[in-house]
Amino acid sequence: MMPFTSADWAAILPVGVVAVAGLAVLIVDLFSGRRELRYLLIGIGLAGVIAAGVLAARQFGHNFDAFFGGFMTGGFTTVFEEIILIAAAGSLILYATGGPAQRIAGASSIMLWSACGAMLMAGAANLLMIFLGLELLSLGLYALCATADRKTARESALKYLILSSTATGFLLFGAALLFGATGSVMLSAFVNPSLVGNPLFWAGSGMFLIGLVFKLSLVPFHTWTPDVFEGAPLPVTAFMSVATKAGALAVFARFIYAALPGGIGEKLLLPVWVVAGISMIVGNVGMLAQHDLKRLLGYSGIAQVGYILVALAGTTPLGLRYAVYYLAAYAFMNLGAFAVAAAISGEGEEGSQLSSYHGLGRRRPWLAAAMTIFLLALAGLPPTAGFLGKILILATGVASGYLALAALLIVGTAISLYAYAKVIRLMYERPEGERVHDFRPFVPLAWASVGICAVALIAMAFYPLTPSNVLPLVH
Amino acid sequence: MSLVLVTILLPIVAGALLFAFPREDRMLSRAIGTLIAGATFAMLLASGTREWSFHWLSRPFQAAFHFGATPISFWIALLLAICSACAIAVSRVPRTRDFIALMLMLEGTMLGLFLARDLLVFALFWDLMLVPVFFVLIGWGEHPATAWRYFIYNFAGGLTLLLATAAFGVIYGSTDVIGRAGAQLAGGWAPWIYAGFAFAFLVKTPVWPLHTWMPPTYSGLPSPMVAVVSAVQSKAGLYGFLGIALTLLPAYVHEYALPLMILGAISLIYGAVIALVQTDAKRVVAYSSLSHLGLIVLAIASGNRIALEGALVYIIAHGLFSAALFLVLGYVEEREDTRMLPRLCGLGSKNPRLAGALCIAALAALGLPGLAGFVGELVILIGVYQAGYVWPVIVALVAIVLASAYMLRLYQDIMNGPPVADVPVRSDLTWLEGLAVAPLLAALLIVGVYPAPLLHP
Repeated sequence: MMPFTSADWAAILPVGVVAVAGLAVLIVDLFSGRRELRYLLIGIGLAGVIAAGVLAARQFGHNFDAFFGGFMTGGFTTVFEEIILIAAAGSLILYATGGPAQRIAGASSIMLWSACGAMLMAGAANLLMIFLGLELLSLGLYALCATADRKTARESALKYLILSSTATGFLLFGAALLFGATGSVMLSAFVNPSLVGNPLFWAGSGMFLIGLVFKLSLVPFHTWTPDVFEGAPLPVTAFMSVATKAGALAVFARFIYAALPGGIGEKLLLPVWVVAGISMIVGNVGMLAQHDLKRLLGYSGIAQVGYILVALAGTTPLGLRYAVYYLAAYAFMNLGAFAVAAAISGEGEEGSQLSSYHGLGRRRPWLAAAMTIFLLALAGLPPTAGFLGKILILATGVASGYLALAALLIVGTAISLYAYAKVIRLMYERPEGERVHDFRPFVPLAWASVGICAVALIAMAFYPLTPSNVLPLVH
Repeated sequence: MSLVLVTILLPIVAGALLFAFPREDRMLSRAIGTLIAGATFAMLLASGTREWSFHWLSRPFQAAFHFGATPISFWIALLLAICSACAIAVSRVPRTRDFIALMLMLEGTMLGLFLARDLLVFALFWDLMLVPVFFVLIGWGEHPATAWRYFIYNFAGGLTLLLATAAFGVIYGSTDVIGRAGAQLAGGWAPWIYAGFAFAFLVKTPVWPLHTWMPPTYSGLPSPMVAVVSAVQSKAGLYGFLGIALTLLPAYVHEYALPLMILGAISLIYGAVIALVQTDAKRVVAYSSLSHLGLIVLAIASGNRIALEGALVYIIAHGLFSAALFLVLGYVEEREDTRMLPRLCGLGSKNPRLAGALCIAALAALGLPGLAGFVGELVILIGVYQAGYVWPVIVALVAIVLASAYMLRLYQDIMNGPPVADVPVRSDLTWLEGLAVAPLLAALLIVGVYPAPLLHP
């Protein structure tokens, strides 16, 4: 057994820092006694996330295969890690707005450990590491889903546990078959032309992809998403909506970009692109009838992943960059929308009910303006990063010849507009004798989070994307 | 910072700041709004055809925030600035401050659209200019459903525009092409790209059968905003044909001229006939717009140089008289609390200035010689005829006769006849109201007498 060097440990240092931060939150809570230490706990968690973010950023461009190639650092990993950390930070902040303090300690440490799992997925380059990261992420989420005192939360947790475990089973079975076909767990070992004719490899990759497609909540494995999102507490939904997608997309992208033997990709991935196209329609149509923000964003997420996959469809390096760009924008849109929901929610999470937004434009104009920006971004309207992201995705889709996907993206977007505009209309409509929700006053952390997300979305749209700015991501 | 950029940003930023303005003061909001719009007009004149560019994308195609007026867009931008200033000055609606903020944002986003020299920026502002109108339809409109129809129709157009822009960028390598000589695309995907552009432009104009969003939107919007929307926003599509499709994809405009001409001709007749039987005064003008803009579509489809010059004159003329008509109808509605023609009667005898304003605007709309509408119509018809199309000219002449009928009917129903006894006599136009339509009417006269600068851009 060869010992691991310090460089190996340095590669997963950001993950370690987040894990230790989770531990620190628990320990501080242990000694807090009866005192209410909500902000201290969240502060520790955020400090850990920020430290990890800085450490991860320092690894940018330093390609290194740690643990004998099991975990790769470099541009790709860093970018996904940062998105996951943004999701963790944005969701932790939401705990500042409500919920009993004791539960916050447990929940935020579990959330941090879940983030560790997603970060491992971002850098994972062998099947075992992928599985490890996926399970760490998912196990934490099962528990987190159940942390609200309501029946739907338990339903959400159970549903997620059962369905997600099944999907993990597929992924694991696929991984086993892949190992059987290649004799290796390393993704890099799959790039072998002799595998093209090996049915075991096809079956393995297929099942592996099914597992991932579930995590990406694409049709037909999407039905869990709205239910689980609805039941889970607001911060958990916010985290889950971004981090799971980021982790699963990282694995998916690494798999299709770096682990498929030449000539197999087009045939093997065709079902995935078909599924992505259907998801764009199903997700957007599903949004139309929703009365709950979390369900709405759940369906929206189904479609948004579809959009991102359009960028990946050509398997071009440029497509990967745009996918990452869109994913980052998506993180800000979603976290921002959830932060607005948190900012107007009390104990009962009224912010997840769309009817609560009635009159927001009059009573809390700044929140309503920010929410409008998030919704416009989700719909792909200017002046937000959603617009630029969409046009970049369209351009890549057209350039790599996936015109049907580009057309479906357009159709899906047109449908989605109704759902997003409905919320905008609700906020600004003249209230006609209806009860207007009693909005909470100023919630500093949630408002700060809303502001950061809104500014980030607009800044991203106008940031000039030159080759030196859109940095190389795959090595 | 260049003057061009400041011109575009000023209304947008001022609008955003006005939202945050602590006092809901009607007079002050109107004064600030008018001042900003006036300043925008002055800066637009001062900046002329200067350009400003800032790099945006280099992959997957070149794109830049490139602004600057072309000879065509300069006039439309001026029209926009005049209409906005006039409309803002008489914006007497509830929650004036917010309304004027949205008016300013509408002006800024449309300026961005017309001054854009990059297709992607054009597409960006195309979507962006829908947002203020959407908000006004929600907050001030008569039926919420109108907001949907407006937004979804136009956004669908915006999406095909976006797809076409992306495809154009990928194939041509750059979207920084508006007003650039020699930037043309042909073969392969070009017809599809043209189809994407054309759909967006035709929805926005609109032409039959894509017009169904337009009458409820125009009648539901408060008068000051509909004045700007009908005068200028509807020209975005026509400008798209003139400034973009005809320079980037001219071969396809000519190749598919016949369907375009048929749509234009149907709109001409259909709009005129429906306008004839409408009882809602605003809808009369809305359908008359459909008819008038159909004439411009004919001009574009003919591809004749004279017709295209006439199209620009008529774009400006229609902008001026439709803005004036909607503003005056707004005055009527404020005074009588209705705009239903059967319930309006005999306003003219007590309100001579109001009647005069409506009269000039209506005469311009029906193409009276000496006013701008006539020049546009005449030059377009000469051009279309010269291009060898006879039947469209006949259709257009019929529609022009019908225009006299519905415009005179509109004037008669409102102004002539005995005054309604039980309606209290309201005041005639105030000096401010008069001042707000005066520039539009004066410009109609000036362009009608001296259209030369517009005819040879």
